[in-house]
Amino acid sequence: MTTHASASERQSFNAWSRARGWLGNPWGRPRFLPAITWLYMVWSIVPVLIAIQFSFNNSRSLTAWSGYSTRWYWGNVYSVWGNTGLHSALFQSLKLAAADVVIATPLGVLLAIGLARWRGRGAGSSNFLMLFPLITPEIVMGVSLFLVFGHIFTVIHTSTLAQILGHVTFSISYVVVIVRGRLFSIGRQYEEAAADLGASWWHALRLILLPLLLPAIIASIAITFAISIDDFVISYYLSCGGACDTVPIIIYSTARGGPQPSTNAIASIMVFITLITVVAGYLLYRVFTRGESGSGSMTGDLAAFDL
Amino acid sequence: MAGEVQLIDLVKRFGDVAAVDGINLEMPGAEFFSMLGPSGCGKTTTLRMIAGFERPTEGQILLDGSDMQFTPPHKRNVNTVFQSYALFPHMNVNDNVAFGLRRQKVSKHDIKSRVAEALELVQLTGLERRKPGQMSGGQQQRVALARALVLKPAVLLLDEPLGALDAKLRKQLQVELKALQQQVGITFVYVTHDQEEALTMSDRIAVMSNGKVEQVAEPQEVYEEPKTTFVADFLGVSNLMDATVLTRGGEGHTRVKVGEFELDAGRGEAGVESETKIVIRPERVRLEDHGTTGPNRIPGMVERPVYLGNAMQLLVRLASGDIVQVLIQNAGEEIPYKQGDPVTVYMPAEALRVLADTGTAPIEAA
Repeated sequence: MTTHASASERQSFNAWSRARGWLGNPWGRPRFLPAITWLYMVWSIVPVLIAIQFSFNNSRSLTAWSGYSTRWYWGNVYSVWGNTGLHSALFQSLKLAAADVVIATPLGVLLAIGLARWRGRGAGSSNFLMLFPLITPEIVMGVSLFLVFGHIFTVIHTSTLAQILGHVTFSISYVVVIVRGRLFSIGRQYEEAAADLGASWWHALRLILLPLLLPAIIASIAITFAISIDDFVISYYLSCGGACDTVPIIIYSTARGGPQPSTNAIASIMVFITLITVVAGYLLYRVFTRGESGSGSMTGDLAAFDL
Repeated sequence: MAGEVQLIDLVKRFGDVAAVDGINLEMPGAEFFSMLGPSGCGKTTTLRMIAGFERPTEGQILLDGSDMQFTPPHKRNVNTVFQSYALFPHMNVNDNVAFGLRRQKVSKHDIKSRVAEALELVQLTGLERRKPGQMSGGQQQRVALARALVLKPAVLLLDEPLGALDAKLRKQLQVELKALQQQVGITFVYVTHDQEEALTMSDRIAVMSNGKVEQVAEPQEVYEEPKTTFVADFLGVSNLMDATVLTRGGEGHTRVKVGEFELDAGRGEAGVESETKIVIRPERVRLEDHGTTGPNRIPGMVERPVYLGNAMQLLVRLASGDIVQVLIQNAGEEIPYKQGDPVTVYMPAEALRVLADTGTAPIEAA
């Protein structure tokens, strides 16, 4: 009996001291920060989830749930597929993103290698200038590109090509920053070792440097694709009208006219595409950095900027 | 034997800083040559110039008599073992070792047999499929060696290759490296800041400081007969004392004054200056009972005994004011000196050396 009492006493003492321990020790395991973080995540994700949910609604309503249906995705003239404007916007977005990835990634990789290996006069300022598109407000970029294509290079004018060039212009910086970060972390030693073993510059690039850069290249592709899909300002300024409208432009114009479930549907499709790209990029990144000790995570590699 | 390296008036400047400041060195073929010095002395820069990664600002590098000025790294018949090994992380051991042979377009059959031979040489047979990340530091080191040796270079450059390994493995690999060098019979140019490494392995050592070569000699000579204060100080622990030259006794016999005590220095020769430094190794200093008299003896007091395991180190303050380190081997007997004990310090003339050059800083001519 006495032993039992003393045991429970000890228990309460422990609970008390533990409570005092984590209130009194600010360096212990954080308790409030995770709660706040989770609250924020719920706050930012729930609206998206609700929008996705109502894109599957069986009625026009965006507030009252009346059963599951894919009628806003497929079928009648009010669906994404049935509405020419919506589905051509979807293809335009995908086309721009794909072209952006195909052009900006190789250019950015080569630029990053050049900049990282360039020693001497001008290297510092060039490296800084590469960050310029990242810090320029997008609207300034959009307006200036509009002026350039509309008044100087009038051959291009406002067109799909102009939109592609606009996307490439600002997404190259992201590629450069990601690839250069990895270049600095892998250092020059592998290239030197390759040269030492008799590899020409081209062999060193193809057999050593590019395979080692692969994770950064994959991350670049995912990011470039995601920001191109996401872009509104530059696509809008360089748009040639209806045929050049991308999904963000369509969403913007229809949302103002009166919300449609099909707008939700096309927005949801965008979310799915972006999500798939990023997850695929992440998985590939994990595959290619397997066995690397002490390497950062993809989020670490991408932490250079706030996306 | 091929593998002769000549460095002629070699200078490398980074901006205003001369990392290598006029080096002249000759390494005959099949020699184990070490460049020893503290970090920043220019030894790695020199090695990188031989490999071709840095271009000399001035001077020449001759490899087997031919100038390397316009030869890029991948065309030089030298290979490097890097400090960090630089094994390609995305390739397995076999592909790492075969990398250089494939660049030389060696036939598949020959590649196979030469890789096997190289891996056997470094005792790694059976680990061909491993990736560098799955190997220990010592194994990675061996792969780096095999990768360089498989190309049968005339000269192998090694940049502190044992620096990242633990002490025990380092000792073992020192012995193996030396044996390997004798087996393959090519020139090894070895860069290190570890004096013990340099002493145990090298045929000759160049001691470097501030981009200049202080002394080039065989290990024993560098240790026993250091030419400069820097060499004496850098190679092991030395007791350096300021001294005034009284009489120059010609061949290896100088009478000097330390404080108010006169000593005979049996080795080295006094330079032009009368103010010089004398040096003696801690293991050559002997302690005698307080009150013992005789030549080359100075009274002192034990300031601090330090137990080192294999030896006892005693810091003794001499009556002249200098502090002398004394090393007594641990032979199982009790060493009777305690802190504060008065003793007589005997520095035998044959172990006491006068340094001609009193410092790395250039001495102004009078």
